[in-house]
Amino acid sequence: MEVDWQDWRDGRKDVTIEVCEQIPVTHCASTVTNDIKMNDTPDAPAVEIEHLTKLFRIPSLRKQTVLAVNDLSLTVGRGEVYGLIGPNGSGKSTTMKVLLGLLHATSGKCSIFGRDSSQVDSRKDVGFLPENPYFYKHLTASETLEFYGRVCGLTKAERRDQNARLLKLVDLEHAKDRRLAGYSKGMLQRIGLAQALVQNPRLVVLDEPTAGVDPSGSRQIRDLILELKEQGISIILSSHLLEQVQEVCDRVGIIYKGDLVREGRLEDLISIEDQTEIILKNASAALLEKVRALAMGESTEVISIGRPRTTLERLFLEETQ
Amino acid sequence: MNDDDHETPDQKRTGYSGAALATESQPHSIFSPSRIWALTMHTFTQMVRMRVFYFLLFFSAGIILVAFMFLRFTPEQELKLLKDVSLGAMSLFAGIFAIAGTALLIPKDLEDRTLYTILCKPVPRFEYLLGKLLGMLVLIFVSMLFMDALFCTVVGVRQKILEKEVAVAYDQELAKYPEREQNESWKEQREEALSAITENGLRWDLQAAVWAIFLKASVMTAVTLLVSTFATTTLFTIISSIAVFIIGHGQHLGRSYFLSGAPDGGLERALAGALAVIFPDFHLYDIVDAVVSGETIATTLLLQMSGMTCLYLLIYTAAASFVFSNKEL
Ligand SMILES: Nc1ncnc2c1ncn2[C@@H]1O[C@H](COP(=O)(O)OP(=O)(O)OP(=O)(O)O)[C@@H](O)[C@H]1O
Ligand SMILES: [Mg+2]
Repeated sequence: MEVDWQDWRDGRKDVTIEVCEQIPVTHCASTVTNDIKMNDTPDAPAVEIEHLTKLFRIPSLRKQTVLAVNDLSLTVGRGEVYGLIGPNGSGKSTTMKVLLGLLHATSGKCSIFGRDSSQVDSRKDVGFLPENPYFYKHLTASETLEFYGRVCGLTKAERRDQNARLLKLVDLEHAKDRRLAGYSKGMLQRIGLAQALVQNPRLVVLDEPTAGVDPSGSRQIRDLILELKEQGISIILSSHLLEQVQEVCDRVGIIYKGDLVREGRLEDLISIEDQTEIILKNASAALLEKVRALAMGESTEVISIGRPRTTLERLFLEETQ
Repeated sequence: MNDDDHETPDQKRTGYSGAALATESQPHSIFSPSRIWALTMHTFTQMVRMRVFYFLLFFSAGIILVAFMFLRFTPEQELKLLKDVSLGAMSLFAGIFAIAGTALLIPKDLEDRTLYTILCKPVPRFEYLLGKLLGMLVLIFVSMLFMDALFCTVVGVRQKILEKEVAVAYDQELAKYPEREQNESWKEQREEALSAITENGLRWDLQAAVWAIFLKASVMTAVTLLVSTFATTTLFTIISSIAVFIIGHGQHLGRSYFLSGAPDGGLERALAGALAVIFPDFHLYDIVDAVVSGETIATTLLLQMSGMTCLYLLIYTAAASFVFSNKEL
């Protein structure tokens, strides 16, 4: 459905009426035997956050606290791309850090593939790209991937293969022997992405992957995310570029001042319930008049009947004001 | 989606990445020496690429200057001065590396968010700390190896030169007064002069002093790492560690003061005990003066020193990983 809509926007003329429910990837994931992961629950979703609350204590004389995340629950199914959006300071990064065990939850719990995220082994299958990443400036791109590969316990041959493959994937082969100190923002973001993928994780957490990246680089990163999605990798990402979120995400959560104010499948969120959209091809002005009267004419090919969409941007502004 | 319904996401992913990685089928190990080694070598490389070894040029210039410029003393005095200055400089450099280098490590990782990218991999926090500690120890060890080699070469060369000079002086005297060939006390005097040089020259005990310096620097590294896990600024870490360094040197005095002042005073005893537990006792490592004045160092003392160092490293690193594993990043 998403694809049809996309094609229509791109100016394709003849589009079929097919409006079938897309089968979410999550459903196939649980039906098949899980043969390579031993100690995880086969049906557990990629990410499960239950009633997460995070309170920061501010060191000062008066015991001040900041409520960064408030009773947030969300689930990311296997193979799903989940977008977390919200204004600055709404708690997106905090949620991700708790999920990765970098911060301790004040209450509530998070799990990754059924394993509690306070345990180290839950991180075995996760790749993380922090916001505004900086890596060790003294290392080159190859050395960076080599280092993270070692830390993840890859063998020498695996590291070599992954190194070559990932550098190619993020298009940094030409700069692989340069130290990261001389990398531009977009290049750092890309090596960050490569680093997140080094152990072939099944879940990738991306905190603003396209922040500060130029439009074409940003497009490359979007394509990469779509590619990962094709491979069945679960992704949770936060971004301020709503158009991109709309393009890549299956589900979206809008977070505002620590609360998850809206959540759901993207199609559901941005469809307007009480309106219907009719798209006509080769319609004359007179016909349009008739259609307006009759709502449907016989010589007219109905190209699409469905719910018109608002944009995610409009929804975002509505929910966070 | 053009793939078969019965293909799992996992299988698809494997297709994309070539072969499945060996790590995927292994259960996660909580303690992995290879991971720690990767972190260790990484820390070492980081320090090396921060050009810390350039500092060693100062050391080299310094001891060469001392060895060949000040020639106004007796041979023994000269060698003692050389050893004193060199060992002092080694101690200083090892201390600077231990405190300033270690203090930078964690704040830098936090600031650059590199800590996130490491700890979001399956790396237990204590392994991260252990990697940092060992990396610094390797760095200090390598730089001490360099300093030691240079130091021994300089002392050896200086010793040879002095021996030659003294021998030549006595030979010239003999040429002037051939009758001294029969003079026993003159011959004894000559032997003594030469053996004084040998005694103050290159000896194994110098290595004991170098080892003690390394051990002390190791303890300081662990202390600094501990402080840096809870300190909020690098400056605080450096100042506190220097304070610990100073207190560590004076703590045996403090302890004996508390204990001698009031033999049965509970408070004094408690204070002395607390002092001994919190601060390392660097008095233990004070063998440099003895070595400089040519004394022999007992093996048991070295063993005791090494054992205590291991204990200190264990305690401080355990404390550091306790603080660090509860830390909000
Ligand atoms: N270490 C911290 N100490 C105190 N408060 C914090 C800390 N980290 C985050 N906060 C607060 O928690 C709230 C959520 O921050 P967070 O970084 O999660 O926002 P965000 O949604 O990622 O914002 P942005 O879009 O700007 O990245 C903010 O009010 C922030 O000030
Ligand atoms: Mg953020």
